[in-house]
Amino acid sequence: MTPDDLDRILSSEDLLEPSSDFTMDVMARVRLQAAEPSPLRFPWFRVVTGLAASCVMAAAGAVLLLRSGPALTATVAPLAQLAAVTPELGYATAALLVSLALASLPRLLFRP
Amino acid sequence: MREEDQDAADVARVVAGDLSAFEGIVRRWQRRLVNMAWRFCRDRATAEDMAQEVFLKTFRSLASFRRESAFSTWLISIAVNTYRSRLRAEGKPLLSLDPIRLFAVEPDPLHGIEERQRAEAVRRAVLNLPERYRDAILMYYFEEKDLGEAARVLGVVEGTLKARLYRGRELLRRRCANMGLRPAGVPMEET
Repeated sequence: MTPDDLDRILSSEDLLEPSSDFTMDVMARVRLQAAEPSPLRFPWFRVVTGLAASCVMAAAGAVLLLRSGPALTATVAPLAQLAAVTPELGYATAALLVSLALASLPRLLFRP
Repeated sequence: MREEDQDAADVARVVAGDLSAFEGIVRRWQRRLVNMAWRFCRDRATAEDMAQEVFLKTFRSLASFRRESAFSTWLISIAVNTYRSRLRAEGKPLLSLDPIRLFAVEPDPLHGIEERQRAEAVRRAVLNLPERYRDAILMYYFEEKDLGEAARVLGVVEGTLKARLYRGRELLRRRCANMGLRPAGVPMEET
C-alpha cells in the first residue's frame, strides 16, 4: 500500500447523518442540566477567615504568655504540685476501677 | 449572517440566559461533531453519545468562553479532549482488523465492496495507532488537510504535527502491509 493509497482512503470518508431526534435529545439534557441547582462550592471564605482568626489567637496567646513572666510561674505552680502526685493518682484510679469491676462480677455471673 | 456570527450571537444569548439559542448551535454543529466522533470510535451509537457529551460540556463551559480563539476551534478542542478521554477510559474500541474477515480473499466480482472493506480496515487500523499519531491523522483529515487548524485544535505547533503525521502514516502503512492489505485491484498472490 503506497502513501498515496493511504492518503486517498483517509481523505474519503462517508458522512454520517445524526439521528432525527439527536437535537431534541441534546436539548432535553441541556434543559435538565440548566434546571439542576448549581453544585455547592467549597467554602473558601469561611476557611480563610477561620484560619486567619486561629493565627491571630495563637499569636496573641504567645505574646501574652511572654509578657506575663513571673505571673505565669505563679499560675502554673499548683499544676507542678499536682504533677508530683500524678502516679499515686493514677494508681488510685486504677484500683477504684478494678474494684468496681470485681464488685459487678457476681451480678453478671448470677443473673436471673 | 455568517456561521461564525450566528455562533457568536447564540453564545451571547445562551450566556444571557436564553436556553433556546443553544439549539441553533446544536443544529449547526451536530453533523460535524457526530462525524468526528465516528472517526474516533467507528460506531454510530457511541458517536452520537460522545457528541452529546461534547454539547453538554460546551453548554456548561459557555460562560468561560473568552473569545480568544474562534468558537469553532474552541468547540472542536473540547470534542477532541472528550473523545480522547472516552477512548482512554474505555480502552481502544474492539474492532476487527482481521483481513480475512474484512476482505474477500477470492477476487470479488463486486470490486466496489472489496474496496470499501479495504478502506474501512485502514480507518480502523488508524484507531490502533499510538494516541499521538492517531489524533494527528484523524484531525488532519477531519480538517480537510488544513495543517494550521488541525495543529491549533490539537494544541501543537505545525512542525510537530507534520512529524507526527509522517511517522503515523509510516506506521500505518507498515501495519497495513502486515495485515495483508494491498492496493485496490492487486490480487492476493502478487503481494
